[in-house]
Amino acid sequence: MVVKQEEKSVFDREELMTGTDAVAEAVKLVDVDVFAAYPIRPYTGVMDRLARFIANGDLDAEYIVADGEHSQFEIGKHASSVGARAFVGSSGVGWLYAMESIGVTATDRLPLVALVGNRALDDPGAFGVEHNDALLVRDLGWLLCWASTAQEALDTTLIAYRVAEDPKVRMPAAVAMDGGYLTHSQHMVRVPTKEAVRDFLPTYDLGNRRMHPDNPVSIAPQVNEDWVMELRRQNYEAAKRSRKVITSAYEEYNSIFHSDYEDPFIEETNVEDADTVLVGMGSAAVVARSVANEMRREGKKVGFLKIRWYRPYPTDEIRKALSNVSNVGIIERNFAMGAPDDGAITMHDLQSALYDSKNHPRVVDFIAGLGGREISKKEVRKMFEMTADKKSPKVSWIGLRE
Amino acid sequence: MMQTQKPHLIRLEVNYRGIFQKTLAYHISGDVVYAAHKEGKTAFSNGRYSDDPQRNGIPCANFAYFSKDLTEEDLEAEASASMDITEAEVVVVLDDTMVKGLEPWGGYGIRPINEKVVKDGVVLIVSNRKPADLIAQMEKKKFPYRIAILPGEASFAGLWYFKDDMTDVRVLGAIAKVAPEIASIDTVANYVASKYKSKEKAAAARKAYEEVKVSTVNAGEGIDWPYPKPILPGWKDFDEGVYVKGVKRGFQMGPRGQNRNPDFKRGTSKTQRPVVRFDLCTKCTLCWYDCPDEVFDPTTDGLYDVNYEYCTGCGRCAEVCPVEDCIVMVDELKFENQDSPYVLYKKDPENYVKWAEDKKGKERLMPSPVTGKGSTVSKVETPKPFKKGVVK
Repeated sequence: MVVKQEEKSVFDREELMTGTDAVAEAVKLVDVDVFAAYPIRPYTGVMDRLARFIANGDLDAEYIVADGEHSQFEIGKHASSVGARAFVGSSGVGWLYAMESIGVTATDRLPLVALVGNRALDDPGAFGVEHNDALLVRDLGWLLCWASTAQEALDTTLIAYRVAEDPKVRMPAAVAMDGGYLTHSQHMVRVPTKEAVRDFLPTYDLGNRRMHPDNPVSIAPQVNEDWVMELRRQNYEAAKRSRKVITSAYEEYNSIFHSDYEDPFIEETNVEDADTVLVGMGSAAVVARSVANEMRREGKKVGFLKIRWYRPYPTDEIRKALSNVSNVGIIERNFAMGAPDDGAITMHDLQSALYDSKNHPRVVDFIAGLGGREISKKEVRKMFEMTADKKSPKVSWIGLRE
Repeated sequence: MMQTQKPHLIRLEVNYRGIFQKTLAYHISGDVVYAAHKEGKTAFSNGRYSDDPQRNGIPCANFAYFSKDLTEEDLEAEASASMDITEAEVVVVLDDTMVKGLEPWGGYGIRPINEKVVKDGVVLIVSNRKPADLIAQMEKKKFPYRIAILPGEASFAGLWYFKDDMTDVRVLGAIAKVAPEIASIDTVANYVASKYKSKEKAAAARKAYEEVKVSTVNAGEGIDWPYPKPILPGWKDFDEGVYVKGVKRGFQMGPRGQNRNPDFKRGTSKTQRPVVRFDLCTKCTLCWYDCPDEVFDPTTDGLYDVNYEYCTGCGRCAEVCPVEDCIVMVDELKFENQDSPYVLYKKDPENYVKWAEDKKGKERLMPSPVTGKGSTVSKVETPKPFKKGVVK
């Protein structure tokens, strides 16, 4: 990647980085006040790098190692409530251990940003990627998105703060990335300057809710159960508003950092005139895009649609992109035991988004890459072929050893 | 239009010892990517995720990929959708004792160091040994490939409290020699000079380029690999739920008398093994008592046999043994098998002692208790004579 002359002012340097390095770099750039940590692969990579920043004097922040993920997320939540910009993160079962805290961070509407280094829910001691950990918060009031490359991981973390802290939103945001494939792979990343990030991201201001001796407030008191439904409605409206905030955040990001995020929510590769489209999230997108391009060169009308933001769900974008496609296949790095049609999680959201559109495509589901199993070019090609084939079953397992 | 030509792709693997060489390996796999970038190539690197957190001495691997014509995304799709690779044009080995085999995890088996090297590819080993000695422990291949020896010891320089011995840049220089299509020596030396702001480091890279000796390994040279390849189970091969059968309790006096886990032996973690002078042993039990991996088998005569298949070479037994020169750690590459030393001793005590002293040599390496001070070498001019009649 060549850094253009005019970009020099907004970029500090280009460096070979893993996905977790890139997130740590973003956390430094947003100048967090509090970093709460508890080690778990692959999240540990962020801890390592941030510890080095603080030790080297590159970042002035409280680095608090908690006694477990539950406390870790409580620390993040509380820091956020006193007006400190905070960062937390975890993976797999660690993320689940923090779940009580994760739930109330959302209902308290605190704009904490977290990394979920996707990891299988452990037994048998697995730490390869599965998306079930992050997807568990899809309905709790967290914003949720997936990064596919190290550069995107850095960019998205910056954008996540901007969206989460926006007074129109004030919801926590989780940036998910595939354990191993992204967290342990080193790519060249353009690192913005601190000044440019400051232009993009205003100071964190929680307004009237900020807990401070000068502004005594009691957050989340057990006052009146009767308030709950009205509070949920507020949250619901904020989630709806977040779509516009995300759009404008990406517009500004593109203009400051000369990046080319065309649509913040989805990323299309040859989708426009395709008959057959695969949909996926995370690092599988890299392989799928490459295969989609390759098959186009062979004259096959195939495309790939990557979902970047999963909450808020890109309903309109998906409808628009897929309504006139004949066959849609979904690459799922997750499982949903006993779900409708025995499909995995994202199929259900995608199908309901398409249900009310006039010409909805035939949808098939591929459960693939669980526990870090590779999703190779060969397998993506197979999924394209199966999607195009009207006779293939509703749900197939790809890459499974029979 | 069909794509017929295979894209240009070079895959490099860096084999290293967990923890001790982790930083060193990351420097090498990262720096070689930067160097290739300087020549306008597409390149990136990754670590084998399943190795994380690269525990002490466990054989681990990093990879780097290079292409002249692929975009970064296409290269990634081509090369690294998988967490381990099956083929490599360049295999770097940072510790020569790894030629005896690699067993990073349970269920992986003990795999040959040259398993992934392709025809005409190269295995680049940091070693002070002759190629023939190393090939004699490696699996025979059906095709010719090259072996390159960069003179040097297994380096600990990646650990911050060890002195920089320039192994990182020396390996880069050697890579430029054996695989100039990744980056030329000039590119490497210039990159090293600018990154480390050190003429000495650039000179070390250039010197390594000259020093590295490359020779051809013919088809059929090497050994028949003694370890079976693991069979990966299908989904119907398991019982339901997550469990594996435990090791059945079993204990008998004598060599290999204790039941141990057959699926993960960890013996390939060792760079040295304890050589025992049974004739000097006072039967104090400390080696057996202190061994963290429980590799000592009690025998009916009160001596303790060593099961080298499970020994990780930590040196604890040699440290606690109160008798001078009774247990001494010796370079693992000097040994051809994992046979029971006790059985050898019982067969012919005097000859065993002669053999043991020959393996031990005249030098004893002792790491300094103060980190960063390296190790001290003491000389043993006359080995302790064979002591008759200890075993009753």
